[in-house]
Amino acid sequence: MQSYWFGDINDGLCSPFTGNIDTFVSRMLTLSTTMETFTPLCWEHAVACGVCKDRSDYLSKLQAVCIAAAERSIRDQYARKDAELLQMVRTLDEIDTVINLLSERSADWYMVRHPAFSRKYHRTPAPRLVKTIREKSRGALGRVAGEIEQLGETRSLLAKEVSARANDVMPNTSALIGGLVAARLMAEAGGLFPLSRLPASAIQVLGAKTALFSHLKTRTPSPKHGIIFQHRRVHNAPRDSRGRVARVLSGKLAIAARIDYFRGEPVPEFLEAAQKRIDLAGKGNCL
Amino acid sequence: MIWIGDVLVSRGEGGVYNERMLGGSRVWEPYRSKLSALYHVGNGVELYPSMRVLYLGAANGTTVSHVADYTEVVYAVEFAPRPMQDLIEVARRRKNVIPIMADATRPDRYALVVEAVDMVYQDVAQPDQASIAIRNCAFLRPEGNLVLMLKTRSVDVRKDPEVVFDETLKALKEAGFTVQESVWLVPYHQDHAAIICTKPLR
Repeated sequence: MQSYWFGDINDGLCSPFTGNIDTFVSRMLTLSTTMETFTPLCWEHAVACGVCKDRSDYLSKLQAVCIAAAERSIRDQYARKDAELLQMVRTLDEIDTVINLLSERSADWYMVRHPAFSRKYHRTPAPRLVKTIREKSRGALGRVAGEIEQLGETRSLLAKEVSARANDVMPNTSALIGGLVAARLMAEAGGLFPLSRLPASAIQVLGAKTALFSHLKTRTPSPKHGIIFQHRRVHNAPRDSRGRVARVLSGKLAIAARIDYFRGEPVPEFLEAAQKRIDLAGKGNCL
Repeated sequence: MIWIGDVLVSRGEGGVYNERMLGGSRVWEPYRSKLSALYHVGNGVELYPSMRVLYLGAANGTTVSHVADYTEVVYAVEFAPRPMQDLIEVARRRKNVIPIMADATRPDRYALVVEAVDMVYQDVAQPDQASIAIRNCAFLRPEGNLVLMLKTRSVDVRKDPEVVFDETLKALKEAGFTVQESVWLVPYHQDHAAIICTKPLR
């Protein structure tokens, strides 16, 4: 017997599938075959089956079912918990870019208005500089500075939401490296499922694309860390043990991501052992 | 193919992606579409009204909409949800576009939906493009054409595009295909090549 989306064919006899569009979609999404044994679909069978009148009727019925099936698949994919987190992280990173760009630009503009002003030797942090610009500038420049501050507030709100969502969606990874960085790793990989399939070595250099490819193409040294550098355990580690910490941490992250994807709940025994191992690497003990 | 002067066009309802119109026809930009580029730099495969096409890597349905203007039906396979949303919108406006949300590396998942086709067109960003094409040619009728858009950079960035190109040609020949035409799509697309093969009779 060979099943098709419109019905089953057995020794030249066709039993049509009956149902509404939803049941057709469910059938289509579960049907599968092996490529070795299958007989290619022949639309005339669908007419013989009584599912449709002619060629154009066949195509329009098939199209309706296919569109409905695709819509259901899209809905299912977007309903996964990491789908929204992905957009949140990317928005967060883009807000950062915008804030930096606008701050630099408005500082340059401000310096044209105030030729005696310079940031050298003062080490004015960008937020305070923006505040000064807002207070001291009339017109559009002041407004731009105000918008930067507003955007900054939105950013911290969003960062908190990202963190909270990451703790929920990927509890083990977040426990090891913090919600924000965990979410960034997930976004760089393209989702929790792709992240869970990455080897530890890839997680270690995730986000260090430029350095990695220049290493692969020429003979520049290989990158030691990508996004995971943002975690204090890596960037606070002394230079000579940073590579080791990054390697051990990414090894544990690879396991954590798999637990997160397949189990979706925190596993205290694993976390405790992993934390201990990472701390050990930071103290210069290599096992 | 329909040319107005040296501009490739297709006849159908416009406004799919803000494409330019020329004398009531839709301009098919070679810089945007690799298939259009193929018709500009090489011969390509003549599309005809009764043609059935399996299109792998349909993306937003931009090129799909032009192919659909020329042919009877296009089975458009796309895996990612975001472009699929656009593709569904194209399908709603064009009776002969059948959107299939599936992984082109797993033809068994849509084998019970797709019929035998006259042409398989493949434009996927995967490392194993030749083997995906060969597997999907289960749907191709004998003497039908396979049009493979080879993104050499997706196969292996470290390898020289020429090497990837030769390896792919070799793999297709070993699978029994006759290579009809193989061209690079410069100046329209960098590091992209088009390979046209014919499926053997038996």
